[in-house]
Amino acid sequence: MQWLRNIFDNLAPMFEKNGKLERFHPLFEATDTILFSTDERTESGPHIRDNIDIKRVMILVVLSLVPCYVFGAINIGYQESLTFGFDANWQRNLISGLYKIVPILAVTFATGAFWEILFAIVRKHSISEGFLVTCALIPLTLPATIPLWQVAVGTSFGIVIGKEIFGGVGMNIFNPALTTRAFLYFTYPAQISGDKVWAIAPDGYSGATALNIPAGQIDSDAVTLLNEASVNTVFDFSWFNMFMGWIPGSIGETNKILIILAAIFLIYTGITSWRIMLGSVIGLVLTALLTNLFAPYSSNAMLTIPPHYHLVMGSFLFGTVFMATEPVTSAHTEIGKWYYGFFIGMLTVIIRSINPAYPEGIMLAILLMNAFAPLIDYFVIKQNIKKRMLRYAQ
Amino acid sequence: MEKIEITKGHDIRISGIPNSESYTHIMPKKISISPKSFRNVKPKLLVAEGEVVKIGSPLFYDKTKTKVRFASPAAGKIANIKFGPRRVIENIEIEIDGSEALKNDSLQGKELSSIKRDEALQFILKSNLFHFFRERPFNQIPNPDKIPRDIFISGYNTAPLSVDLVRLIGDNHKVFQKGLSLVSKLTDGKTFFSSKEKFNFKDVENILINGPHPAGNIGIQVHHIKPLKPNEFIWTINAQHVLTLGKLFEKGIYDPEIIVSIGGSGAIAPYTAKTISGVPILSLIENQNLNKKNIRIVSGDVLTGKNVSEEGYIDFYDSTLSLINDNVDRPFLGMLSIGTSSTKYSLTRVFFNMKEVLFNFTTAQNGELRPIVPLNTWEKVLPMDIFPNELYRAILAKDIDEMEKLGIWECDDEDFALCSFSCPSKIDVGEVIRDGLDLIYLEG
Repeated sequence: MQWLRNIFDNLAPMFEKNGKLERFHPLFEATDTILFSTDERTESGPHIRDNIDIKRVMILVVLSLVPCYVFGAINIGYQESLTFGFDANWQRNLISGLYKIVPILAVTFATGAFWEILFAIVRKHSISEGFLVTCALIPLTLPATIPLWQVAVGTSFGIVIGKEIFGGVGMNIFNPALTTRAFLYFTYPAQISGDKVWAIAPDGYSGATALNIPAGQIDSDAVTLLNEASVNTVFDFSWFNMFMGWIPGSIGETNKILIILAAIFLIYTGITSWRIMLGSVIGLVLTALLTNLFAPYSSNAMLTIPPHYHLVMGSFLFGTVFMATEPVTSAHTEIGKWYYGFFIGMLTVIIRSINPAYPEGIMLAILLMNAFAPLIDYFVIKQNIKKRMLRYAQ
Repeated sequence: MEKIEITKGHDIRISGIPNSESYTHIMPKKISISPKSFRNVKPKLLVAEGEVVKIGSPLFYDKTKTKVRFASPAAGKIANIKFGPRRVIENIEIEIDGSEALKNDSLQGKELSSIKRDEALQFILKSNLFHFFRERPFNQIPNPDKIPRDIFISGYNTAPLSVDLVRLIGDNHKVFQKGLSLVSKLTDGKTFFSSKEKFNFKDVENILINGPHPAGNIGIQVHHIKPLKPNEFIWTINAQHVLTLGKLFEKGIYDPEIIVSIGGSGAIAPYTAKTISGVPILSLIENQNLNKKNIRIVSGDVLTGKNVSEEGYIDFYDSTLSLINDNVDRPFLGMLSIGTSSTKYSLTRVFFNMKEVLFNFTTAQNGELRPIVPLNTWEKVLPMDIFPNELYRAILAKDIDEMEKLGIWECDDEDFALCSFSCPSKIDVGEVIRDGLDLIYLEG
C-alpha cells in the first residue's frame, strides 16, 4: 500500500495551511486517517496512549450492525415471497432484499456524509466518525418500502437538527438516528406507520407488525389475537418466530438473536453499557407485569401482553441495544445509567399500552429519556456533592 | 494496621522494565538544579557563575517564603546559570569537584524522641532541604511557618518503570526510620506511611495499601485515608528524600544520592542507577546506544514525565528516566485491524489482544483529538469518589464553586494521568485538572 501512501503524501501540501485546497483539509484528513490511521504523536501528558480511538469504537458498532443488515435483506425477500405466495430460497430473498436496502443505505450515507463534510468545512472542525454509526443505524429503523426522498429528508433533519446545530458529535442532546426516525414518523406517517408499509406486498395487502395486531383491540387477549393472526394471515406471530425475526417490521429490528449477539459483542468490547440494557429490560418486564395485573380491569388488549412477548414485539431490543446506549445522549454516570435504562423500559410499555396510536413506544421513550438524562446525572452528582459537603462540615 | 485495597486503576505493561536487583553506580561530572522544578516558587539567586559551592550550600531562595533556600546537590564550581525569556532562571549547572559538604550539627547526638517540632524544622531549613516537602493541594513548596494537618509518605511506587521503593526502604530500614521520625515532628496531626509491605515503622501511622497504579500516588492515598477539605493542606515527601533526611540526621550532612530507574521500550539495557540528584541524561544513557535512533527521552514516568533532550537533566523530584520509541507507523486500514497482543494495547477489549504481555509502546497518540464520547473509560481507572467527566466540564466552564463541590481539592494532575492514557477521545484530562488548580490558586 506504499504507492497509495505516497499519493497521499504528495497531495498533503495542497491541503495544508496556505495550500490551494486548504478549505477541504477536514475531508483530506478524514480520508487519510481512515485509510492509514493517524501519525499524531503525544505532546505532553501521558507519552504513551491506549490504542482505542473513536474511529475504532464507531467502526465496531457499524460492524455489529452488519448481521442485522444481512438478515434484514433476507427477511424482506422472505416476507415478499409470503405475501405474493411463491416459494423462494434464501439467496433469492437476499438479493431481493438487497435490491431494496442498498438504495436506502446509499441515500442515507450520501446525505449524511454531505452534511457532515459541509459542517466540517464551514465550522472548521474535523470530520467526526460518529456519522458512520448514525447513517448505519437509520436504514435499519425504516420499513423497506420507504420512498428514497424521505430517507434523504429525514437523514438531513437528523444530522443537522439532531446533531450539527449543537456542535456535532459529543454535544448533541438527542440521538440523531432516532431524531431522523421521529421526524419521518410525524411528518410522513403514511409511509412509516399503519399496516401497509412493513412488507413488500400486493396492493391493499395488510402486513401489520406484531404490535399493530393487539393495538386498539378491545376486550381480548393479545396472545390470542397474535395466534389468530398467525392462522388467518400468511405471517407467523408465534413467540419463537418473532424471536427469530421472520415477521414484517423495520429492516433491522426483527431478528432478536442477532441483536442479542451484537449486544454481547458490544458489552464484551466495553463500548456500550450493560447497565442501560439490563436496566431497560428490567423496567420493561416489571412494567409489563404491572399492566398484566391491571388488564382484567380494562378493555385495552395491549395491557394483556406478557413481558416475554413485549421483549420480542416491535423494536424494543434494537432500540435498547443500539439507540439507548449511545454514550453521548444517555446518562453519563454509572448509577444514572440504571435509572435511565429502567425508565426507557418502563416508558416503552406505558406508551405501547396507553396510547395505541403509537404502538412502537421505544422510539419516543428513548427520545424522552435523552432529554431527561442530564437531570438524572444531576441528581446522582448531587448525592456525591452532598456526601462531600457533609464531610467538609465535620 | 489500616488496610486499603484499591481495585480501580491499571498497571501498564510497558516493556523495558529496569533490573532492580542491583544498582549501577553512576558519578556524573556535572549536575544541574532548576528552580522550575518547584511549583509556585519565585527564585532569587544567592550565587554567581564561577563561584565555588559545597554540597548543601544554598543556591537560591524563594522570594515569597524567604526561609526556604535550596541546597546544592554537589560540590564544585558554578559552571553556568542559564536564563530563559524575561530572565527566568532555567537551571544552574555545577561542575563537580570533590565532595566537601556543609555540616549542620545542631541535632548532633540528640535523641530523636526529645526533639521538638521547631528544632526539627529549623534543622531542615538550615540544611537548605525544606524543598523536599510539597504541599497538597497545588503540589507546591509549602510555607514553613504553617503547620500541616498531616504528612503523607508513599512507600509504594506503582508508576510504570519506577524504582522499587519497597526494596529500597527494606534495605535501609534503620536510616529510613530516623528520617520518618524526624519528618513526623513537623505536624501536630499524624504522619501516614503507606506501603505494600508491612514495615511497622515507629512514630507514624502505618497503612497497608495494595492495588494497581495509581494506588502508589499520594493523592489517591490521601483520598482513601483522610481526604482534604477546602482550605486544609497536608505535606508530602518522597520516600527517597525521607531516606536523605535520615542520613542528614545521622551525619549532619546532605547526601544527594538518589536511585534512578532507566527503562522503557527504547532502552536496550534497562537498569537501576545509584547516582546523585540532578544527574545529566547523557550520563544515564551512555550505555543505551541511542545515537541516531528516534527515541523520546522522558524525565519521570511515561504518564506524567517531561520531555527532555539528551543534554537535559533529571528533574529534582523524578527518579525514573523513560525512553520511548518515537517512530510511529501508519498501518493501512488500521482501524479495522483485528489487533494482537503485540500490536495493540487497550484497557478495553476492542482488539484481539488476549495475552497480558509486555508491550512495546511508541509515542503514538493512536487517534485524533475528539469531543468527549463518554465510554466511562476515565471512571474505570480513577480510584476516587469523584466524577471526572463533570469535574472536567466544570473546569472548562471556569466554575470554581462547582469545582470545589466536585472535589477538586482532593485532586492532582498525576492522579488523572491514567484517564488521559485510556481516553478514546485523546483528551489530556490531567492537564485540565492542573488548569483548574492553577485557576483556584490564582483566585486565592
